[in-house]
Amino acid sequence: MENNVLLEIKDLQVQYVTERGTGNALNGLTLTIHKGESLGLVGETGAGKTTAALSVLNLLPKPAGRIIGGEILYNGKSVQKMSNKELMDIRGKKISMIFQNPLTSLNPVFTIGEQISMVIRKHEKCTHRQADEKTKQLLEEVGIPGSRLHDYPSQFSGGMRQRVGIAAGIALNPELLIADEPTTALDVTIQAQILELMKKLKTQYDTSLLMITHNLGIISELCENVAVIYGGRIIEHGPVKDVFGTPLHPYTAGLLGAIPSLEGKKERLHAIPGKIAGATNLPAGCAFHPRCEMCIEKCKSQVPPMATVRPGHNVACFVKAEGK
Amino acid sequence: MDKKILFSRMLKSKFFMVGAVLVLLIVLLSVFSPFIVQFDPVTNSLKDRLISPEYFASGLSGHVFGTDDLGRDIFSRLLLGSRYSLFIAAAVVLVAAFIGTILGAVSGYFGGVTDMIIMRLCDIMMAIPNLVLAIAVMAILGPNIFNLIIVLIVTSWVQYCKVTRNNVMVVKNAEFVKASQVLGAKKTHIMFRQIFPNVTTQLIILISQQFGWTILTEASLSFLSLGVQPPTPSWGNMIADGRNYLITNPWMVFAPGIALMITVLAFNFLGDGLRDVLDPKKI
Repeated sequence: MENNVLLEIKDLQVQYVTERGTGNALNGLTLTIHKGESLGLVGETGAGKTTAALSVLNLLPKPAGRIIGGEILYNGKSVQKMSNKELMDIRGKKISMIFQNPLTSLNPVFTIGEQISMVIRKHEKCTHRQADEKTKQLLEEVGIPGSRLHDYPSQFSGGMRQRVGIAAGIALNPELLIADEPTTALDVTIQAQILELMKKLKTQYDTSLLMITHNLGIISELCENVAVIYGGRIIEHGPVKDVFGTPLHPYTAGLLGAIPSLEGKKERLHAIPGKIAGATNLPAGCAFHPRCEMCIEKCKSQVPPMATVRPGHNVACFVKAEGK
Repeated sequence: MDKKILFSRMLKSKFFMVGAVLVLLIVLLSVFSPFIVQFDPVTNSLKDRLISPEYFASGLSGHVFGTDDLGRDIFSRLLLGSRYSLFIAAAVVLVAAFIGTILGAVSGYFGGVTDMIIMRLCDIMMAIPNLVLAIAVMAILGPNIFNLIIVLIVTSWVQYCKVTRNNVMVVKNAEFVKASQVLGAKKTHIMFRQIFPNVTTQLIILISQQFGWTILTEASLSFLSLGVQPPTPSWGNMIADGRNYLITNPWMVFAPGIALMITVLAFNFLGDGLRDVLDPKKI
């Protein structure tokens, strides 16, 4: 198991320094993705999901964002220590990304064919014609007729553009695909189509997937494992079946309790009291403790370590870890 | 944008059609002027002085717009003067646009200290009245066409710089820029291949409008005898020559004045028309 680790994030700490203050976006995030694994990263807005994704590619917004601690190892090599050239080779070829808003993630002045074949030509030595051929294939694969190669993004709908975005993302058969809320900007029926597509491509290309979302349904649909992020830390991590079936951390339980169920008796939805911990003034100890019903004295001062409760299922909570 | 759509929009926009046709006509006239003119525009011929316009009574061989106080044919001077005006304007606009765009793109893309230095430079340039600076420089360097072009470039690059910078700043935060970073693009690629094509529309519009402005400024400087020097004809110095004869022989001022007005108007129409034609929000 240990030897096929693709990406390892160790105790990553990221800070945003702005005029209004310093925000600690990530506070010791630890995460591992194996080859072929698909991992879902769930969390509320502002929990640090996108920050984590951007730090993997060393693309934090500069000069505000900084990695102040920890390490990101890609195939055992530190991303922070890579030269610019190495980074550029990795971006797009080894690690690729699909963006949240397909309406803005394509350049309006180029045809979609041009945009995809630009990526191919950047990383592979090939002629324009070969790149165009490959682009056509890719488009067909994501469900867009190859004849639309020379159309501009404005001539496509949102769902179609997201397909183009996916085609560009998988163009070079990357080892890791990061999808940053790829369906949030789409309506529900299109979401389902896009998820179907991603599922198909994932098995076909055997790509590892890091799915960032706040939609738990998507995770259970697409991923094997899930990590729940809160206040810039992973608080629960395990196989989807275990985490969603028997959530351990009170926050995960709260999230799942907030989903209306279609079956059974109608009852009030369970809501988590309070607001999400802000990055500018994070509570001491466990970041979740002010909102937690099970909070004990220890939670207020000490950060709970990750503890394995059952094989592969870890949780960062004093109460739950002891009460196993 | 599709070429077909672009073409049909061009035909629909009245401003664009009027501007484009006029500009085309002016450019053609000035390019082919040596074949049209019948008189030497520079040599004096005092026996023919101040002949009133014959229009086309005797075709092109007559004095179509009359003669000036030194007996030179005004029509010939007008046409040859347009060559200087258009050449100067073209040189100034292209070089200034080139410099301004590059500085603006760099300033907008890199931000920080680079941006601050370039923008303060722009502020300084904008704080000095253009005409005053031009007069001062021409007075020091001596008036000739080369210096005139330099002065006009120095005073007009700021516009392009500011416009490009602002547009680049908007575009550089677009998600597709981040997307191309993620997909492994180099900085130069992002700047020139991803961002730049998104700001060209505004540049094209600005360039066509600046054309009119440059012709006008060149005429003003020539009028003040700080631009094109006599006996070389220029619309500005033709108007200056005619000033003393405004009451008795008004055609000396009217011909270059109206020519200047039509030319500037044509370029402004073209600029407005281009704005309509290239507007991405219109369908």
